[in-house]
Amino acid sequence: MRQTRREGVLPKVKRSGWTTRRWQGLIVAVCCATILQAGAARAATTPVRVLETGSTLLYPLFNIWVPDYMKTHPGVQITTQGTGSGTGIAQASSGIAQIGASDAYMSSAQLKRSPGILNIPLAISSQMVNYNLPGFNHKHLKLSGPVIAGIYSGKIRYWDDAALKSMNPDMKLPHKAIIPVHRSDGSGDTFIFTQFLAFSTPSWANGTGYGTSVSWPPVEGEIGGVGNPGMISALKGSPYSLAYVGISYKKAIEADGLGEAMLQNRDGHFVLANAKTVGAAVLATAAKTPKDERISLIFAPGAESYPIINYEYAIVNKKQPSPEMAKALRELLAWSIHPDGGSAQKYMDAVGFVPLPAPIRSLSAEQIALIK
Amino acid sequence: MSHANEAFRLTAAPPPVPRVPRFPLRRRIFSIAGWTTTALALILLTAAMLGILEMVFVRGIGALVPATFTTITQGTGGGLLNAIEGTFVLSFGALLLAVPFGMAAGIYISEYRNGWWAKTIRLLADVLVGVPSIVVGYVGYVTMVDWLGWNFSVAAGAISLAVMSLPYICRTTEMALQQVPGDLREAAFALGAGESQVIFRICLPAALRAILTGILLALAVSVGETAPLLYTAGWSNYLWDGKMTHSPVGYLTYAIWTFISEPFASAHQLAYAAAFLVMALVLLVHLAARLVFDRHRR
Amino acid sequence: MKFKTGLAAIAGVLPASLVAIVLFLTVYSWPAIRFNGFHFLVSNHWNLGNLYADPVTVAGTQVAPGAHYGILFLIVGTLLTTLVALLIALPVGVGAAIFLAEAVPGRLRLWLSFLVELLAAVPSVVFGLWGYVVVIPFLGQHLFPFLSRIFGFVPFFAGPSGSGYGLLTSGFVLSLMIVPLIVATLRDAMVSQPPAIREAVTALGATRFEVVAKVILPSLFRVLVGATILAVGRALGETMAVLMVSGNALNYLPHNIYAPISTMAAFIVSQLDSAMQDPTGMAVRSLAEIALMLSLLSLLINFLARLVLAIENRSARHATIV
Repeated sequence: MRQTRREGVLPKVKRSGWTTRRWQGLIVAVCCATILQAGAARAATTPVRVLETGSTLLYPLFNIWVPDYMKTHPGVQITTQGTGSGTGIAQASSGIAQIGASDAYMSSAQLKRSPGILNIPLAISSQMVNYNLPGFNHKHLKLSGPVIAGIYSGKIRYWDDAALKSMNPDMKLPHKAIIPVHRSDGSGDTFIFTQFLAFSTPSWANGTGYGTSVSWPPVEGEIGGVGNPGMISALKGSPYSLAYVGISYKKAIEADGLGEAMLQNRDGHFVLANAKTVGAAVLATAAKTPKDERISLIFAPGAESYPIINYEYAIVNKKQPSPEMAKALRELLAWSIHPDGGSAQKYMDAVGFVPLPAPIRSLSAEQIALIK
Repeated sequence: MSHANEAFRLTAAPPPVPRVPRFPLRRRIFSIAGWTTTALALILLTAAMLGILEMVFVRGIGALVPATFTTITQGTGGGLLNAIEGTFVLSFGALLLAVPFGMAAGIYISEYRNGWWAKTIRLLADVLVGVPSIVVGYVGYVTMVDWLGWNFSVAAGAISLAVMSLPYICRTTEMALQQVPGDLREAAFALGAGESQVIFRICLPAALRAILTGILLALAVSVGETAPLLYTAGWSNYLWDGKMTHSPVGYLTYAIWTFISEPFASAHQLAYAAAFLVMALVLLVHLAARLVFDRHRR
Repeated sequence: MKFKTGLAAIAGVLPASLVAIVLFLTVYSWPAIRFNGFHFLVSNHWNLGNLYADPVTVAGTQVAPGAHYGILFLIVGTLLTTLVALLIALPVGVGAAIFLAEAVPGRLRLWLSFLVELLAAVPSVVFGLWGYVVVIPFLGQHLFPFLSRIFGFVPFFAGPSGSGYGLLTSGFVLSLMIVPLIVATLRDAMVSQPPAIREAVTALGATRFEVVAKVILPSLFRVLVGATILAVGRALGETMAVLMVSGNALNYLPHNIYAPISTMAAFIVSQLDSAMQDPTGMAVRSLAEIALMLSLLSLLINFLARLVLAIENRSARHATIV
């Protein structure tokens, strides 16, 4: 209890003593009252409560689905969370969430650890490769998988590289260093982008490979952005940069005056992402889709196929804790893939997705029926 | 403060003001350069803060509508009532947990300041400040949400927040008690008061306002936290149902962090409205703290 | 004595919670610690491996094929950003504190201090947002090219000035987050300095600035170190804002002050989601090991700072000043 400091004001001890207790009591009372009252007010009926968490690509779609769905289904409460595909899979497997949203299907090793988990495609997403190349943003630069892989591994450093020039003979590309932008948070966007590079470029497949986070080769000037908005602001803020962005952000890309590249597909044609090219790619792989629907749509064959597309999955446990929950999930998921329900054009257009074609829709419906 | 004010007046206007500068040029330049750089430093900080306030308020004010306060979040639109309520519940819950323990620690390290236990607590409090919030959140996730099976819940969120604010409350309590003159304690002891009486009847009342300031600042910190809550409180579009475990709850910082990343303008509006509300809340809490502290100083 | 024991026990909740966190991290990351060995700290290669292939067994442990966990670049990044943040925050904070305490009149001082201290309460996410909406375009396109041209002869300032995402930007944003701690503590201490010293030195013929710079400031060394310790703690653990402005370099060290960088705390956030997809769990446990290392780093820095204080204390006692 030794004291050395002596400055300060002499307080009026007695009066403050009273204030102390009054303050303490007041604070405690207010806190308790707030919390108890807030809670007690609504412990009434308990509707079925569904928690959806995961992919930030699927999150916007769920967010526009849910308010409309609940108007016709008052018995369920659905909460949506955008956390990331890995979190979605982990929490759907552990039962913390009922629906895990994921841009990628689960690996066989993961399924082995959590058997009984379904991977149900709900819609099809695609990805743009965008750039900020002053003077060329209103044109569509042509790019191929190997060229993009060369850029992201630092082998192609300048916009006027021979590989780029031969692909775009009608453009006078500047001698400026390319700034590759990638996602630094784990992301389904990175998964499908790197899968495109791996499937189109053997050296990328053997080197960096693919995943929701990969070990990006170090490139001078590169930027790691967070989330699609982070990617877009990195593009906007850095002339001569290149990035991959989810199709849902097409309007933002256009509003910011950034360029969208045409990509070379497996058959050698250059295509932009739209309903036609994405639909062509899905149909090209539809026949090969297995019953558990775990298949990559990346770099599909076909003259018109767009190369970077993927199923957006709902990761759901077959065995639900209660029949009410199982029923609620079946109804919600069935609605979401129905052309008059969640897959109606107005929802798809809002996020730039494409609905499942009929054969895939029935595969998904079969899986949905398994939820018990 | 009163001493300092006197000092300030004395140095600001020494009684016989000599009009002719009496310092050699080199020292005058040193002085002028010194004042200029310090002024620039202050201007830089003020400008940064005003810039942030401008960004948040200009974008946020347009996004605020009455519905923000009256309706819950519906997908990409609606209001933020659920998040506002959740922020209050989580922050006050955290305070309820952190204040007794944080203050106890602060009192202990102030009043028994030279013991090994006090030194240990002080050291560990400083280390705890440096534990990243995401780590607190993730530890909470694995232990409370997963192992204990609480799921996303108020309890898990509030406990994680409480752990984050413990060191702040502890250190401000300590500092506040250090401002209490030693004479007071000695006088009380001399009158035969016991240790607990001296602390609770003499020191705490004297330091109360400063401690309250610290607690309010800790509250402001927890209102602004995101990372420890993402994996513990989760997020909910609905109002809290009053259960401590097994039901997630919304909070404002989630709305900023997540809705800003969505492709819809309506979601951005929500994000900026949330940013506005968080900043406004933090500002109010700070103003309150300032008022409390001001009265204390008089 | 019983009162003291009781208080000590309740006070123990604080250290106990830190010990619990560290203990948890140690137990949780133990398989990773054994698998990664010492390499973890000195290798510059972080790779989650192929999470879609079947796990392989390496040294008796199941991991994803190609998985390798090395975090040297993160340790360097964390220390460098903290250092840059301090190098900015210390002079700016001390300067602002001096001006606030000595040159700004009462009412205005209150409001300006309020504004500066408010910086500490801005949510990290808002800082990050401001960082990439406002700060990065300005720094990347105007200030950095200018700095690189003017200070090109200083080793770390030369070279390409990058895009604005990177070490200097993170350091700047971080410095704003920690500077209020320094300003508030120092200003309060200056204001409560006994006036006698001031009067004495003024009487000896010092200018007002000399009083502050040569007498008052040196006497507050301990206060400054104390505030700096807390500031360093905050800087080490800061996550969201750094994540949004640092450029998130992976597996390489910065070659100049504009280059992208990653910090341990930000890296944990950015990798956590992908790590959860690792069926062997090794990725998440390695992230826990990063968290453990960060806690140890923080502990180490705190020890060092206390050592500085102790040494300063001893030398102060020798040099019989007031």
